Amino acid sequence: MRTASGGLIDRNVPLNFRFDGRPYRGFAGDTLASALIANGVRLVGRSFKYHRPRGILTAGPEEPNALVELRNGARREPNTKATTVELYEGLEAASQNRWPSLSFDVLALNGLAAPFLHAGFYYKTFMWPASFWEKLYEPLIRRAAGLGRASGEPDPDRYEKAHAFCDVLIVGAGPAGLMAALAAARSDARVILCEQDFVLGGRLLAEHFEIGGKPGAIWARGLETELRSFPGVTIMPRTSVFAAYDGEYAALERVSDHLAMPPPFMPRQRLWKIVARHCVIATGAVERIIAFGGNDRPGIMTASAIRTYRNRFGAAPGKQAAIFTTTDDGWRSIADLRDAGVRVAAVVDPRSEVRKDLVSQAQSVGANVHFGSQVVQAHGAHGVKRITISSPGGAITTIDCDLLGVSGGWNPNIGLTTHLGAKPIWSDGISAFIPGELSRAMSVAGAARGKFSLRDALADGASVGLAVSEATGFARPLLDVPRVGDEDTNMWPFWRSTPTGKFAFVDLQNDVTAEDVQLAAQEGFQNTEHLKRYTTLGMATDQGKTGAVVAQALMAALTGTAMGTIGVPRARPPETPVAIGAFAGHHRGKSFRPYRLTAGHRWAEEQGAIFTEVGQWLRAQWFPRASERDWLETVSREAATVRSAVGICDVSTLGKIDIQGADAGAFLDRVYINVFSTLPVGKARYGVMLREDGFVMDDGTTSRLADDHYFMTTTTANAGRVMQHLEFCHQVLWPDLDVQMISATEQWSQYAIAGPRSRELLRGIVDGQFDISNAGFPFLAAVAVTICGGQPARLFRISFSGELAYELAVPARYGDALARALMEAGAPLGVAPYGTEALSVLRIEKGHAAGNELNGQTTAADLGLNRMMSTRKDYVGRVLAERPALADPDRPALTGFKPVDRKTRLRAGAHLFQQRAAISPENDSGHLTSVAFSPALETWIGLGLLKRGSSRVGEIIRAYDPVRGGDYLLEVCSPVFVDPKGERLHV
Amino acid sequence: MSDVRLVAQPALAEFVFSERFGNPAGPAGVTVVLRHDLRIASVIARRGCEAELAVRVERTFEVAPPPGPHRIRKGNLTILGIGPGRWMFLQEKGAPEFADVLARDLKGLASISDHSDGYAVFEVGGPLARQALAKGVAIDLHPKSFGVADAAVTSIAHIGAMLWQTDDAPRYAIAVFRSSAGSFWHGLRDSAAEFGLTVHPG
Repeated sequence: MRTASGGLIDRNVPLNFRFDGRPYRGFAGDTLASALIANGVRLVGRSFKYHRPRGILTAGPEEPNALVELRNGARREPNTKATTVELYEGLEAASQNRWPSLSFDVLALNGLAAPFLHAGFYYKTFMWPASFWEKLYEPLIRRAAGLGRASGEPDPDRYEKAHAFCDVLIVGAGPAGLMAALAAARSDARVILCEQDFVLGGRLLAEHFEIGGKPGAIWARGLETELRSFPGVTIMPRTSVFAAYDGEYAALERVSDHLAMPPPFMPRQRLWKIVARHCVIATGAVERIIAFGGNDRPGIMTASAIRTYRNRFGAAPGKQAAIFTTTDDGWRSIADLRDAGVRVAAVVDPRSEVRKDLVSQAQSVGANVHFGSQVVQAHGAHGVKRITISSPGGAITTIDCDLLGVSGGWNPNIGLTTHLGAKPIWSDGISAFIPGELSRAMSVAGAARGKFSLRDALADGASVGLAVSEATGFARPLLDVPRVGDEDTNMWPFWRSTPTGKFAFVDLQNDVTAEDVQLAAQEGFQNTEHLKRYTTLGMATDQGKTGAVVAQALMAALTGTAMGTIGVPRARPPETPVAIGAFAGHHRGKSFRPYRLTAGHRWAEEQGAIFTEVGQWLRAQWFPRASERDWLETVSREAATVRSAVGICDVSTLGKIDIQGADAGAFLDRVYINVFSTLPVGKARYGVMLREDGFVMDDGTTSRLADDHYFMTTTTANAGRVMQHLEFCHQVLWPDLDVQMISATEQWSQYAIAGPRSRELLRGIVDGQFDISNAGFPFLAAVAVTICGGQPARLFRISFSGELAYELAVPARYGDALARALMEAGAPLGVAPYGTEALSVLRIEKGHAAGNELNGQTTAADLGLNRMMSTRKDYVGRVLAERPALADPDRPALTGFKPVDRKTRLRAGAHLFQQRAAISPENDSGHLTSVAFSPALETWIGLGLLKRGSSRVGEIIRAYDPVRGGDYLLEVCSPVFVDPKGERLHV
Repeated sequence: MSDVRLVAQPALAEFVFSERFGNPAGPAGVTVVLRHDLRIASVIARRGCEAELAVRVERTFEVAPPPGPHRIRKGNLTILGIGPGRWMFLQEKGAPEFADVLARDLKGLASISDHSDGYAVFEVGGPLARQALAKGVAIDLHPKSFGVADAAVTSIAHIGAMLWQTDDAPRYAIAVFRSSAGSFWHGLRDSAAEFGLTVHPG
């Protein structure tokens, strides 16, 4: 119920919202959880495994229970914690994990089947028969378990990633974080203060604290104002730091989650990478639960959450309360409950006594005080109605209540401190794990390291802030720690009631009970990491923040181990859930990764090109014409045009490396298997380079432009790798060589002009003073020319197609214009653009190895290039290429194949066998690597790697392709199908 | 011989069709000028020639190439340190012969390659330039860390880039490979959308 007054909500701004279709009203400043509580809604969901009714346990991101589906349609987000959802006008949320309705759920019968759903049940129960797993067990489990439903639609929202830098990053804006931020800010450091909540203050918003005579929330607001006055301070509310790396932190800013829909041009969420010289973790502490029967019933909350709802949100979660506490904090809830008009029926404390003033306050509101007592069972189908307590001597009492506040002590929120490996250590003083040894760039302040009282937290925040300022090289500023009263938490370790009762949960989100811990202990899963995995303890969205330590304590008791020895699993990022979309940022759809376009891209588009991705590049694959039935017809026409007339192909994507220096030739001799230092100026040569391990890395042509100037080309796919390799060779292996290299891929737009009429075409482009006759510009010539009336260009007579062919390069700004000029000049000759597919057909017909053959598993000898391997010099890969396995004559070698039945379609990937050999891996003698329909031969042809292939020409072998259902005979032939003597290159 | 004259097409001509993008309210937070006037050449010192090269550059251009990742400007010449013994020389309103002339001037001391067509250069300014760039740039552009005397070879949203600050407004220049210009532009446009973005063809 909403209290008549109080809270930090704005009662002048009512907000309408719906939960499970029913209309409710809250106020600005509410969370969904506080608004539900204010509207008397107790039952908000069903549990994961047993479908038990669940309510709201906490008031923060540690919430295990109140998971809802937020929003509708494509924006529906399951498993959203109602305690962290900021209320907005028109909010719609639905309970999840229930059918047909929240109050009547068929699968709640799982609760009756609980004996079969114990820890590790899916390792055991559903083991046999194995065939049942996929068809029966898994679908059943998936339907029954799991939490909310994903929308199944594309996410309509935008996400961003951003980078921030600071001297001091402070995580958490509670009393310690605020003081640390103030210290750092006053020292002139660049400060980023991240707070997951939408208001700064932490527990100051939730308790009746006074600081310097002001209410805590007002003091926090004043401090925020001061912080904002520093130009070096950035305050980031609604931002969860969810991971710590080496000097870098990941944070999620919920930019628009407090709105029904992100405003135009705004992202929904922004993922920050924050680089900080120092980080102060001031993430506070989480109140923990106690294991007793039915401790999951709606209406059972942490005592601190009750105070939060009362003090911050003006909401009373019940009418008649009881408190079950092992801390003095629990007792402090009494005054807040009284102020909210809630009757306090009883205080149950397992301790034998507490401070007198606490007792008298309880008695003043008429509460019965039960020392040395324990709550053993909570009752009530859809919410707690009464509790059973056991008192010294075994007396059993029943108390009516619809609200039970539980205070089992506080766990410092130390998840972030463990991401870099620091192992939490057990503190007997506060009966909790505290941060272990931290890196020098990280400090922890306040409740996050067990400084629970307000006075301690403020003082600790200030002193950590000052120390960090000094450590990061800033002057130590003046800083007064505000005076406050001191109230110690006085916690006493108490984990489970005895008897524990039925359904005593230690992890409410994963439905792990005290019994499950016992079972894990019996079955030998005693190590804390085993306990976690066997029972699912501490997994999922809340990471077991409220209860996992209870389970660890139970395990310690069961195994007679000290808590410090049992330990706690190291948390890994993310500390709180992060939408996958935030990790993708802008990089989705077509922006998934950067793309690269050649200068002639638009021209190719205008020609109707279909594009294919080659690495990041988009390359024209083919250029269909309206009359053509399919790609094969298009590609065959393009290839035939090159063989019969002339075609042009954009080859700008090939890697180009400018290599200069007095030792450039010597350098190339060492990276290529063949010799380049003897290459005359004005000539190009085909080269092959190996990896250090002796396998082929890449191939291409390199031209010599001047004595000390070479121009290398690489394959498109390997351009970056080759550049890296050359830089490595120069910088690490041979720094003494005078050689300089830089990528020039982007500078040049380059086109292949191929076909018997290519010279005629070029004659219309290349300026008249340049002799491009066969004699004047022979095969493998490479010179600078001018074209189109004075435009500098480079002309190479090289051929991948096997036809008379050239490559012509111009500075990229002229790339578009050159493509158009070539088409115009070639129009009378029947020119056609051709794409990568026709390029591939032409090179297969010619037996040239390409990507499918240069696959990292082939040697130069495998590819028939062994004669290029110079014996007069050393080069990268030479020695290891002589290894016996690489020199084995039995190795599969590049071979050509034709189908015996000329109509058979070949497919790359088919395996090759001797005709009568059984189909088995040991008889496998190779595979087809590249296939094409050859317009020149009017049949499918293939290249492949076949054992001793070159000596088997004429043999009939069997191609077996179980994936595509192929089984046919092939004739082994030379890999050069067209113009085997290479005469066409020289005409 | 052809009577066709080849017409230059600047990088990005095919992407930027409008002058205003993103949030239309108020003055744009980010302004982008596409710098089509720059001539760019890499200068890599020959082995053992760095000192002599520095002297020659200073004699020729009245400014020494900065050691380390730094930027220096003299007249219409900007020099960026892009690696040990490596610089990018940029000439504003430069002539096509820039790289050739440079190669002649520095002959024997450095290897020169022309990159005038290899890069698209975006000059990013406006009151919220830094906030927009923070969405892609992984280095600290705060004045304490990066200023007009600095240059960086970095990666912006997975696209290789050279980055330098041209004035204290601040304005930044970002050079990306010409082929990546469209991809980079889309990222920049999306990053600046919330602030409003105007583009001048330069």
